Amino acid sequence: METSVLDRIDAAALRYADKVAFKDSERSLTFGEFDRLTKAVGTRLAELVPAGSPVAVMSGRHVYTPACFLGAVRAGCFYAPMDGDMPKKRLNQILSVIKAPVMLVDRAHLEAAQELDFDGELVIAEELFDSPADAELLGEHASALTCFSPLYVIFTSGSTGAPKGVITSHLSLMTYIDSVAKVLDIGEDDVLGNQSPLDYIAAIRDIYLPLSFGAQTYIIPKSEFAAPTVLFDTLNREKITALCWSVAGVELPAKLGGFETGKPEYLKKLCFSGSVISSKYLRVWQDALPDVLYVNQYGPTEATASCTYYVVRDKVNDDTVLPIGKPYDNYRILLLNDDDSPTPCGETGQICVGGPAVTLGYYGNAEATAKAYVQNPLNPNFRELIYKTGDLGSYNENGELMFHGRMDRQVKHLGHRIELGEIEETAKGIEGITDCCALYYKEKELLYLFYTGEATKKDITLYFRANMPAFMVPRKTVQLEKLPALPNGKTDMQALKSMF
Amino acid sequence: MEELMQILEELRPDVDFENETSLIDGGVLDSFDVVALVGELNDAFDIEIKPNHLIPANFNSAKAIMALVEELQDE
Repeated sequence: METSVLDRIDAAALRYADKVAFKDSERSLTFGEFDRLTKAVGTRLAELVPAGSPVAVMSGRHVYTPACFLGAVRAGCFYAPMDGDMPKKRLNQILSVIKAPVMLVDRAHLEAAQELDFDGELVIAEELFDSPADAELLGEHASALTCFSPLYVIFTSGSTGAPKGVITSHLSLMTYIDSVAKVLDIGEDDVLGNQSPLDYIAAIRDIYLPLSFGAQTYIIPKSEFAAPTVLFDTLNREKITALCWSVAGVELPAKLGGFETGKPEYLKKLCFSGSVISSKYLRVWQDALPDVLYVNQYGPTEATASCTYYVVRDKVNDDTVLPIGKPYDNYRILLLNDDDSPTPCGETGQICVGGPAVTLGYYGNAEATAKAYVQNPLNPNFRELIYKTGDLGSYNENGELMFHGRMDRQVKHLGHRIELGEIEETAKGIEGITDCCALYYKEKELLYLFYTGEATKKDITLYFRANMPAFMVPRKTVQLEKLPALPNGKTDMQALKSMF
Repeated sequence: MEELMQILEELRPDVDFENETSLIDGGVLDSFDVVALVGELNDAFDIEIKPNHLIPANFNSAKAIMALVEELQDE
């Protein structure tokens, strides 16, 4: 059995030394070069910090970023990816949780990194690439790893106003990657087209499928997603065979009419996740590319990206509600009622996940971890952790899992997970906002902020743009005399929804 | 032009549309901004922006967007 993902990089470097692993619009890295880079970066990090340390990585959308991530792992450490384009405040929040003694940064983000509240060692990635590897030192550090060791910490929205860092082990990652590869039948001939930001959970497929199975990943420039003809040209030029995209990303070219002028000729498989796909746009893909394997995935970051999948067998129509299907290999799903009793077949209960892909909890946050990661209430005999997703589900007559939304106020917007409570906490920090309520208009994919107070729409947008990731900026802000209230004094959200 | 500036200002009040000339290439507008913008432009100017118009050169500045709108209005 493998100890860590390092075993996979070593094996790939031997087997596919001269084959391209990662490519972007300007450069490419073979598996051999990738391996060498991780060792060069890892050696320097191992000189700086002990094994088991968190390493913050702020690096752009290019082939060197995965090498920086795995360089941290070579040093026996784990990485916390940070999107340098995010506002300073957000990045500082992440740093205050992860408390990394060292940050690896590419030159393009050096200036931004220097402005952050970071008192650890700032290391410029490009300066390490040509340094020699110290095999002995790396061996010592890697020997600290077991498959339970953390591999990365990825941050996601938290309802109290601070992001939560989900810690994932080598074992969880490898469990998921092997299971998804089996369903998508990923092999060395596949070329993946990366859409997800590299710091985001959805990118783990694009990073680890190549390292595990000798496939290649092409990192698509962000701007091309606004230009479907350019995007499809790229997919065809790079002969891309597999896409693991957010639903938002899959819908974009269909929305913008991309299929009127062309299509991705080499595509064989498309898997999507992050939110419920619109049948209308999935049908556009199916009509243009009837032979592609379409896979609907479901799952939270806490269960290592995705825990169930459904292979779309038939063409969808407007009424189709796609199941989220069945668990991946090595995943266990159970449905529980509010009182922790098992949900009877056919009824709706909370989706809970068990098995080795359940992650290690929220970094430095024992309280939030204890709430969501609990002993399986149906098992009184031995320790069995499950993760309570907060999502509702039921089984249909074919034994397939159906998704029924959230139990709380978490929403999925443009592929990202957002706690409406975090939007409100942020808005309350703006001078001139007395009270507010954030809501999501799902049909139009618009984030609304209803508020009372003197603040102008411009004040609010500017504040959000300066402090929050772009996907968390309310597109519509509505100023009210007072927020409608229910008899118990709580905000009447239904009344607000009628103002969409 | 005034109507266009109003739409842009409404969409992204944080961007200096008067002077910015690399809205797409510079990553100022992301793909979701573009989707929202295309919808607004189609409605406001009664035009139909097609996928082959969606190239960076047509959206890099307010001036370029205006030129595209005018070209489509003439059709």
